[in-house]
Amino acid sequence: MSGLSRDHVRTMMGEVLAAQGKQLPADDSTRLDGIGFRSLDFSELALRVEDELDTELNFDAPELRSVETVGDVLDFIDQLQPTA
Amino acid sequence: MSAPCGAGNRIVTTGYVGTWADLPAWPDLPAAAAVLAEDNTDAVRAVWQHVMDGDRETLISTARRVDATQAEGFRSAGLAVAQGDRVEAPSTEHAVDAGRLWLLTSGSTGRPKQVAHTLDSLTTVSGEQPSRTWLCPYATGAYAWWQVVSLSLALPGQDIVFIEPDQIDSWPQLAMEHGVTAASGTPTFWRQAMWRSGATVAQLPLEQITLGGEPVDQGILDRLREVFPAARISWIYASSEAGAAIAVHDGRAGFPRAWLDRETPERPTLRVEGDELVIASPHAAEGMPSLIHTGDRVELSDDRVAIVGRLASDEINVGGSKASGSSVRRRLLDHPDVVWAAVRGRKAPLVGQVVVADVVLAGDATVTTGDLTSWCAEQLPDYAVPRRVRVLPEIPIKESLKSDV
Repeated sequence: MSGLSRDHVRTMMGEVLAAQGKQLPADDSTRLDGIGFRSLDFSELALRVEDELDTELNFDAPELRSVETVGDVLDFIDQLQPTA
Repeated sequence: MSAPCGAGNRIVTTGYVGTWADLPAWPDLPAAAAVLAEDNTDAVRAVWQHVMDGDRETLISTARRVDATQAEGFRSAGLAVAQGDRVEAPSTEHAVDAGRLWLLTSGSTGRPKQVAHTLDSLTTVSGEQPSRTWLCPYATGAYAWWQVVSLSLALPGQDIVFIEPDQIDSWPQLAMEHGVTAASGTPTFWRQAMWRSGATVAQLPLEQITLGGEPVDQGILDRLREVFPAARISWIYASSEAGAAIAVHDGRAGFPRAWLDRETPERPTLRVEGDELVIASPHAAEGMPSLIHTGDRVELSDDRVAIVGRLASDEINVGGSKASGSSVRRRLLDHPDVVWAAVRGRKAPLVGQVVVADVVLAGDATVTTGDLTSWCAEQLPDYAVPRRVRVLPEIPIKESLKSDV
């Protein structure tokens, strides 16, 4: 199974925000609290990734402590994906 | 035994058209038997044999609902298992419980359980009734199926047209051919009928429309009223355990709050404990506690009690916030382009569960899933807004006529 590209996940992240009338900035260093991307949005993004990959992602709140920016989200999803 | 008052009523199945009284006898059927019916023709023969002999003990179910383990359970409980010409003897001795009718529960929370009734406990309509030809689309042997069957046996002028599961898409044409004037089905059944064959359904001369088996919402009642302005539209709350407990004919969802805690001889008493409907019913199956905790969730308003869904599944815990699946479903169904909706919790990382929905849209709908999310967000708290909305090509309906997807 191949994973999703960073760009693809970025597009999905944009869709999560767009459904709430928000926009995803192009700058990966944008802070999540600045654009209103909350834990429920993170869960939705994970479900979108699960549906695309047809596999379940498992992670918990403590693992997200260091996730503060858009780029952190993309990195985090990237490392969760199956590699082969 | 003398024939019941409805012996001359006409019944129609895929294999029989005639009166109850003219049904071919089934004399070889063992006195205590579980009849695993291939179709309604088998089932009505077993019913008639049970009624006329008077000293039988009978369970009737579709063969499809009963697996080998459950059939073995029937045998070890003293029932022969009859399927077509094949009869397997019981594996233990058993004194026939004369007149006993066993029903299987819907099995929505596991394997169907046996509940004990008699024809008397299943017969809940009495007195003079207008002559009708009933459509019976319910699963063979289910409580709702028995409600139509017992009505036809008890009262003259109550004919029945039985529908097999593979006829569920063509029932409006069959109903037209056989002059159906009354029909009973779940809200999902009616939604599917209006969505797939609305024009044909609208031509039926229906005088009585009955809904039951699932929570009944105002939307489907209003839609049916629009199409059948002169029909009597009723919804019934019934289960194989509690029996028929609530019948509402005023065209509104829910029942009057004044009915709560009212004790009338021979009538069910309705209570609310927490947000659960609790019933004490003279029509309950034998062996039930005097107060039956139904597991159904209610919502109280000033003058009404709405039955909204199952307690076990209605509450969706989203990161510690409690979303009500039925409230979300109601909001989706309020959208003019949504003809059917189901809402559930889906396991999700971080928050435990999120709300997700399946919908079926009207044929000419242009609404997008994003539009539906926004529609929900206008009235629901953030945690209750469906995070994934899937558009299904058609309304899913099970043999139970429910759509608990």
